[in-house]
Amino acid sequence: MVSRLYEWLDSRLKLKSVERTLLDEPIPGGASWIYVFGSATLFLFLLQAITGMFLAIYYAPTPDHAYDSLQFIENQVTFGAFVRGLHHWGASGMVMVIGLHMLQTFLYGAYKPPREVMWMVGVALFLIVMAFAFTGYLLPWDQNAYWATQIGINMVGTVPVVGDLLVRVLRGGETLGALTLSRFFAVHVLFLPAILVTGIALHLFILRRVGPAGPWQGGFERRQREGGGSPAIVERRVRSSETFYPRQVFMDAVVMLGIFVVVGALALTVSFPLADKANPSDTSFVPVPEWYFLFYYQLLKYVHGPLEPLATWILPAIFFLVLLFWPFIDRNPTRHPTSRPFALGSGALFLVIVFALLGISLRDLYAVPHADPSVAHGKALYVQFGCAGCHRIHGEGGAVGPDLSYAGDARPDRDWHYRHFRDPQSVSPGSIMPKFPLTDREISDLTSYMLSLKRSA
Amino acid sequence: MTDPNVPPDVNEPGFYTPVGSRRKFFQWVTGAAAAVVAAGLAIPLIGYVISPSFKRREQVWVEIGSLADLTVGAPKQLDYVTTIKDGWMETTAHKAVWAIKQADDQVTVFSPLCTHLGCGYRWDDPDRTFKCPCHGSVYDVTGKVLGGPAPRNLDILPSKVENGKLFVIYKEFKAGLPTSVEL
Repeated sequence: MVSRLYEWLDSRLKLKSVERTLLDEPIPGGASWIYVFGSATLFLFLLQAITGMFLAIYYAPTPDHAYDSLQFIENQVTFGAFVRGLHHWGASGMVMVIGLHMLQTFLYGAYKPPREVMWMVGVALFLIVMAFAFTGYLLPWDQNAYWATQIGINMVGTVPVVGDLLVRVLRGGETLGALTLSRFFAVHVLFLPAILVTGIALHLFILRRVGPAGPWQGGFERRQREGGGSPAIVERRVRSSETFYPRQVFMDAVVMLGIFVVVGALALTVSFPLADKANPSDTSFVPVPEWYFLFYYQLLKYVHGPLEPLATWILPAIFFLVLLFWPFIDRNPTRHPTSRPFALGSGALFLVIVFALLGISLRDLYAVPHADPSVAHGKALYVQFGCAGCHRIHGEGGAVGPDLSYAGDARPDRDWHYRHFRDPQSVSPGSIMPKFPLTDREISDLTSYMLSLKRSA
Repeated sequence: MTDPNVPPDVNEPGFYTPVGSRRKFFQWVTGAAAAVVAAGLAIPLIGYVISPSFKRREQVWVEIGSLADLTVGAPKQLDYVTTIKDGWMETTAHKAVWAIKQADDQVTVFSPLCTHLGCGYRWDDPDRTFKCPCHGSVYDVTGKVLGGPAPRNLDILPSKVENGKLFVIYKEFKAGLPTSVEL
């Protein structure tokens, strides 16, 4: 039945030649598990698109209703938490898989001629995905969303000359509010998908024109020996190939299924409750970004004062310019990793810095194990010294001193607390907190308690 | 399957493509993976879309007044404010129902809408009848139809008395039918 319909359509639309073009694409050097990341990214994009469409069925992009509509999805709609979970973990997965895809391309030197444009379109796609992450983060309109976006927008404000203008355009006004939410929503669900789909089409079009790069052996060296023809044609001539279908398709399909199972399992088992509803007047809230921005969040902690623009826009701008024009910076024609010490060295250095920052950030965030007995002891000291006379934790206590509900997020640094308990004025000039006669042990326990006060705990 | 990274004829020029049972295996796994993902998405997403459409409105007891305010045998319209949930929105609405206290302190509460086409009716004290101004339906004090186009007696709402307070569950019924059908 289906095959007869296909025959009927084929006799009119000539589908079989299209099918051949799509499936019999030569894979130089044969199919490989290392080539799956592009397809995996495309799969996750489709998953995001589908779950996003369904989330939009119940989502209301206004400050009065955004938070409530998400609560409704989480608690009232059948499979609502699962669909939101797929979208949430799918976003993380996409960042991860794009990272692997870029790493593979980099390692294989697949950005080298004739594939420079494909690399540049890929970098642009990566930037668009970052824009998705930024705009999507505001939509739940909880405290985290509101304050993280506030910080992100303020960072844009440090760009000289046009900073203020950009900030106003991003917010759609002077403050982060209804106009910001609705434009972030429109950009997230209408503008960016249109741009991204166009970019993906271009990326794939270029892939079909130049062909996949294949393994790093041979390729360029042989082309240079033999000479003649366009680089793509010569490369294909000298290398044995396998068709895209069925083995590469099979590998792609297996990986897609694996990703779906992992993302689905995370969506089912790991809940990520909304924080309190966005409260623009609660300036004590310290947002923690998604894991993939944590390294950058950590970097910002080290750069203060006049150097701040360095971290807020100069380094990111340089990074993306270098990334974009990398095929023209790395002019070494060889693709084999061992012959590219400069390129691989810079790549490795970058990864080491990113993962070191991520590691430090995670260590700070999860510094105190939940079962740490010093936390309980510190809590008892907190009661004993009457700290609640001035400080408030989750609505209990006075409002004279700072709210400590999330002190562990606000001040993840142990040393700061040590110095602060010994002499509050030394780290917080003008503080009216008295110096308590505390032993080192008591200071340590109180600090453990302070650090345990987190959203994630 | 041998090492997938090294097809058998990797050093030969020209194309290589699996054939026979190996080809069938790859096709089968690809199809199965696609089917699992499709089902894993389709089932939750269909449930996600249709679930609120079939959810009954939550029925809650609402306090509408105290028993002491009612006089035996004299219908009284009781106004009250109730919260209505509409998806993620909660709005307050004014409702007004008719309550009559019996001699044994039992209370009957009528839906305020005429069973003919849903107009609001009034109590005519001299006549001791409920009269609908729209098309002239008339009911007696027990809600029985006495005249006019009304197809059935007045609809009775679930009610209870606790500690001298009167509670009802507000419901609406389809107009124009000979029997009460809840909306």
